[in-house]
Amino acid sequence: MNAGKTFGKLFSANLKMMFREKQVWFWNIFFPIILMSIFMLIFGGGNDKDFKAKIAVVKPAQSQAADSVLGMLKQVPVFEWKSEEPVSAEQADTWIKDKDVDGVVVLPADGALSSLKLIVNTENEGNATSQALRGILDQIVAQANLAAAGVQQPAFRFEMSSVTAGSEDLSYVDFLMTGMIALAIAQGGLFGMVDLVEMRRKGLLKRLRMTPVRMGLLGLASMLVRFALGVFQICCLAAIGVFGFGANLHIDVPTLIVAFFIGSLAFNAIGYLISSFSKSLEAYMGVANIASFLMMFISGIFFPTNSLPDWLQPVTNVLPLTYFVEGLRDGMVYGSGLGTSDFWLGAGVLALWGGLAYLLGATLYRRTKVEVR
Amino acid sequence: MPTLEVIGLRKSFGSVTAVADISFEVQAGEVFTIIGPNGAGKTTTLEMIEGLLSPDAGTISIDGLTWAKDAERIKSRIGVQPQSSAMFDLLTVEENLELFASFYPKSRPADEVLSMINLADHRNKRVKSLSGGQRQRLAIGLAMINDPDIVFLDEPTTGLDPQARRNIWDIVLNLKSMGKTTILTTHYMEEAEKLSDRVCIVDQGRVVTLDTPAALIGRLTREREVRLSFLDGEEAAAAAEAVAQDEPTVVRTSREGTSLALWSVQPEETLYGLFGFTKERGYRVEQVSIREMSLEDVFIAFTGKEWRD
Repeated sequence: MNAGKTFGKLFSANLKMMFREKQVWFWNIFFPIILMSIFMLIFGGGNDKDFKAKIAVVKPAQSQAADSVLGMLKQVPVFEWKSEEPVSAEQADTWIKDKDVDGVVVLPADGALSSLKLIVNTENEGNATSQALRGILDQIVAQANLAAAGVQQPAFRFEMSSVTAGSEDLSYVDFLMTGMIALAIAQGGLFGMVDLVEMRRKGLLKRLRMTPVRMGLLGLASMLVRFALGVFQICCLAAIGVFGFGANLHIDVPTLIVAFFIGSLAFNAIGYLISSFSKSLEAYMGVANIASFLMMFISGIFFPTNSLPDWLQPVTNVLPLTYFVEGLRDGMVYGSGLGTSDFWLGAGVLALWGGLAYLLGATLYRRTKVEVR
Repeated sequence: MPTLEVIGLRKSFGSVTAVADISFEVQAGEVFTIIGPNGAGKTTTLEMIEGLLSPDAGTISIDGLTWAKDAERIKSRIGVQPQSSAMFDLLTVEENLELFASFYPKSRPADEVLSMINLADHRNKRVKSLSGGQRQRLAIGLAMINDPDIVFLDEPTTGLDPQARRNIWDIVLNLKSMGKTTILTTHYMEEAEKLSDRVCIVDQGRVVTLDTPAALIGRLTREREVRLSFLDGEEAAAAAEAVAQDEPTVVRTSREGTSLALWSVQPEETLYGLFGFTKERGYRVEQVSIREMSLEDVFIAFTGKEWRD
C-alpha cells in the first residue's frame, strides 16, 4: 500500500465530507459569527475615541460668568453644537424632548449663587453620554471655581490610565473576538468527534477494519482536516472582528501556533473521550453540549473571569477552555506568550487534559469494542 | 487445496454460544451459500472468517493463509460486503470506490467496477441519495474494488424489491463467471437455489447439512403433494378421493369442495390409477399439479423451523 497516496485520498475525502455537511458550516462558522456579532453589537459599542455629544446652551441673562463659561465650553473638542448661539429655554426644551441634542447647558446668571445647569432627557439620564457630559461640566465648574479663587496652578492633578499585560490596550471587541475564536475551535473539537460515533454505529469502522488501511492514517487525516477547519475559523472570525467591529490584532505567530495546536488537540481528545462512551449520536451531542455550556460562561469567553463570583474561580481555574482562550489572546492580541511562564502553565494544563482524555478514551474504546485487529 | 477451509469453529459471547462447531471447505470458483434461521450463527461465522472476530477454537485458512500470520495478505485477497453495507454517505459513488481503492496495493479501475455494478450513470451521485438497490450494488462494488479472489456477501438482497434483487443475482453470476469464489448468506431460498453451487444449512451454531441444492432436495424422501380440481361437482371429487385412499402409494388426502389434495410417495403411479378411474366415469379434471420440492422444504425438514422469521 502506498501510504502517501492513501493519505492523500483520505485527507481529500475527509475535507469533502466536512464541507459537505451543513451542520459543520452552521455550528463551526455561522453560529460563532452570529454569536460574536450579537455580543459585539450589544456590548462592544461606545469607543472613547469616537465620543461626541451634541449640545446647546441657554443664556437666561447677560453676565460675565455666562460668557466665560461659554468660552470654556467652546474649547471642549467633543461637543457638537446644535446652534452656535445661545437659544431660548423653550427651543432648548423642544430639542431635548425630541432628542435633537444630548444635553442643554443653562449658563449661570450673575448672582450670589451662580450655578451651571445641565438638562437631559429623562430617558437618557443614566446613559454614558449623559454621565460624560456631567463629568465634563463638573470639571469646567471646578476650573472656573479655581480661577475665581485666584489659583493659577492647581496643587493636585488627577490622571487616569489603564494597565494591561500586553503592549496594547485590550478593548472589549478584541477580548470577545479572541474568546469567540477559542470557543469555536474548542466546540469544533468537542462536537467534531461525533463522526466517530456514527461511523461505529453504522458499521463503517468495522468495514474499514476489513481493508488493509491503517486506522492511524485515518485518524491523522481527519485530524489534519480539523486543523484546516480551525485555521478557517480563525481567519473568518478575525476578519469579521477586525473589519466589522474594529478589533485590533497584535499577532505573535509562534505563540498563536503553539496555542492553536495544543488547544485543538486537547479539545479533539476530549471529543474522542466522549465518543468512546456514547452509543448514539444523541448521547454524544448531549454530553458535548453539557461540557460546552459549562465551559462557555465560566472560562472567560464573553466576560473576564475575575468578574465571576469567588466560589466559582477554582472551577474556572481547572477548565481547559480558560487556558486555551488565554493562550489565543496571548498569540492574537497581547502579542506575547512564549516567553511567559503563565503561557506554558496554560499549555501544560491543556496538554494534561488532552493526554488524560485521550488515554481514557482509548482505554474505553478497547474495552467496549468487540475486538480490534 | 480448498480456497477456504474452516475447521471446528467455536465462539461464545458471555454465556451465549453463537457458534458451537462449524466446519466446511469451499473450492475455488464456487458460489457457497450459508443459510439458517436468525441467530443460527451465520454472521458470527462470517465475521470470524473475515478476521473481525477471533474464534474461541478452530482454524480458518484462506488460500493456506491464517489471520494470525498473514492478516495483511488476507485482507488484500478478500472483498467483503457486510450486512450493514456501511460506506461514506457524503461522498459520491465514484469517490467511495476511489477511496477504498487507495487502501489496497492493487485495485481494479473504478470505471470497470462501476459498469459491473451498473452504476456508471450514478457515479457522481452522493451515496445518501442512492436507492436501496443502488446502495447495495455499490457495497458489492466496494467489495470488488481490490479484485479479490474471495467475495463475502452477507444478505445482499435483504429488503430489496424483486427487480433490484434480480440485478444483484446478475452481479453474483457475473462474479462466478469471472472465476471468483463467493460466500453468500441469504434469507431467500429461491436465491440460494438459483445461485449456489453448494448450500450449507446452519442451525444453533452447527452445520446441519451441506450439499448441492439438487442433492439436498433429492435427499428428501418424503411424499409429494398432488392437487387436482374437478369440473363435475363435489361428488366427482369425493369419489376420486375414495379411490385415491385405496391406492397403496397415497399417504393421506384432503378435499375442499371440488379440489382434492393428496400426498403420494409415487405421484406418477397414483395419477395413473386415478386417471383410469376418472376416464371410466367420464369425470373431467381441470387442473393437475405436482408441487416441486424446494430448498425451503429441505430447510424445514432439517431445522424443523418455518423459514420466515
